[in-house]
Amino acid sequence: MELKDFIKPEFIKMELASQDKKGVIEELVQVLEDNNVIFDREIVLNGVMEREKKGTTGVGNGVAIPHVKSNAVKKPAIVFGKSRKGIEYESLDGKPAYLFFLIAVPEESDNQHIKLLSTLSRMLVHEDFREALSKADTPAAIREVVRRYKK
Amino acid sequence: MKKLVATTSCPTGIAHTYMAAESLEQAAKELGVEIKVETCGSVGVENELTEKDIVEADAVIVAADTNVDTNRFQGKYVVTAATSQAIDDAKGLIKKALQGAEEGKTTEVKGDIYSQVSDIKSARKSERRGPYKHLMTGVSHMIPFVVVGGLAIAISFIFGIKAFEEEGTLAAALMQIGGGSAFALMVPVLAGYIAYSIADRPGLAPGMIGGILANQIGAGFLGGIVAGFLAGYFTQWLKNTIKLPKSFQGLMPVLILPFISSLVVGLLMIYVIGQPVQAVMEGLKSWLQSMGDVNAVLLGIILGAMMAFDMGGPVNKAAYTFGVGLLGSNIYEPMAAVMAAGMTPPLGLALATVLFSNRFNKQEREAGKAAWILGISFITEGAIPFAAADPFRVIPAIMSGSAVTGALSMLFGASLKAPHGGIFVLPIPNVVGNLGMYVVAILAGMIITAVMLRILKPKVEQ
Repeated sequence: MELKDFIKPEFIKMELASQDKKGVIEELVQVLEDNNVIFDREIVLNGVMEREKKGTTGVGNGVAIPHVKSNAVKKPAIVFGKSRKGIEYESLDGKPAYLFFLIAVPEESDNQHIKLLSTLSRMLVHEDFREALSKADTPAAIREVVRRYKK
Repeated sequence: MKKLVATTSCPTGIAHTYMAAESLEQAAKELGVEIKVETCGSVGVENELTEKDIVEADAVIVAADTNVDTNRFQGKYVVTAATSQAIDDAKGLIKKALQGAEEGKTTEVKGDIYSQVSDIKSARKSERRGPYKHLMTGVSHMIPFVVVGGLAIAISFIFGIKAFEEEGTLAAALMQIGGGSAFALMVPVLAGYIAYSIADRPGLAPGMIGGILANQIGAGFLGGIVAGFLAGYFTQWLKNTIKLPKSFQGLMPVLILPFISSLVVGLLMIYVIGQPVQAVMEGLKSWLQSMGDVNAVLLGIILGAMMAFDMGGPVNKAAYTFGVGLLGSNIYEPMAAVMAAGMTPPLGLALATVLFSNRFNKQEREAGKAAWILGISFITEGAIPFAAADPFRVIPAIMSGSAVTGALSMLFGASLKAPHGGIFVLPIPNVVGNLGMYVVAILAGMIITAVMLRILKPKVEQ
């Protein structure tokens, strides 16, 4: 399995409708619900919110990576979303976020999967990767960027 | 080239840990500094720092939102930060670390036995997996109920052992709080939280209902454990099996799962499982109540040795759960043996560091002082730092001491109504039965432990 297999077209939202932090989290979790990878939307939502309380996942440079580890998640999944005008996300640098990766994993999951997800977190640190994601304007292009950057 | 080492960790261990690591690595590259970053994520430790790495490093960066063991960085300059700082300003952290190293600073690392023991406890907690983890979730939620129940009953006895039988008295009220309510909730809470640990919120109702049925049937804590696991795994199975159209999915956790699961668990408890478990429980109770001295001593030896064997690990917890569970059936002697035998290992070691100080190095003699406190508080884990350093001598020694304590406690018929608290519950009237001999049992175990250590451990070159 490769990282790009995680980021399937149906898990990519090219234009997020939400205006604020809570809204965008709900919108991303809804994608999990729609694709039947979670048991209970509310528990997952609470899990994401709990994590945000411990410290924002708006890591700056326009990126946010809300994430949750819960028994209510059936299998590891990533939802990618883009917002053209940016969303206020209480980010570390105080600036709005444009790129969103929601990571959801079950409480007890395969280490291989989590390792893949962790490579994504590492990739996001790099400016050229973020820029390429910003420029990509179709789900296919997003997947291509991820495939090309994988270490 | 300057060399740094760093370790990163965050609560979930899937994102920030790695972003912080990558940011540090990238910043180090740009600043022309060598760095090795260890990540402590949810897959465990990767790129682990070796002793050699740490010795060679000029300074250390700890970027963590969780408690990290910094003992190994003794003598180095340690910069501590949140993962967010490392992600946001890795360069700043690296510069700070280099500057500190330049000025020859070192950071005082707290390396005392208290923090070691609490690290061990939390590490063990997070390592728990599968059924053991679920059982411990149930037990830990049950404990406060047992404490309240045991103490309220004990206080009621101050007015006389039968004072509660007269309605309207304070003694009766205390008995209603302790025996009637707190103890009555014990098994349902145990079963409920076992199921909760397995199947999350939908498991709670079937678990608690199964637990209360276990109470009514007379299947006690054994029945509660069975009900809890049954409810948890069955609910989890239902969750994975039932497929509903999207519009009905909201009903799953609040209606469908708890309802079906409660009915199935309840009916099974009443018609199938309840009776045999009740028979086992009754058998156990009557055996415990009628057993002669030989069997009592035997049980004490087994429970005692189990308490010391892994010092707070699964075997210890099995003996402990047994003792606590029987409190709900008004059997108090095994609990007494279990707590006494759990206090003996650190106390015996502490005594040995005083009596036979040439068997211990300076560090251990220091740790011995803390072991007194941990021992009287019934924190068996206080023996671990000693056992870790010399397991094949220390463990047999503390097991013999605890076995003696357990056996004597049973032989003297000492009883204990509180599930925890160490010596701090002893002064509360009526909590301990046969207090004088109970203390004798603990002292005897301490002496045996110390003497065994004297025999088994060689002299340490000072």
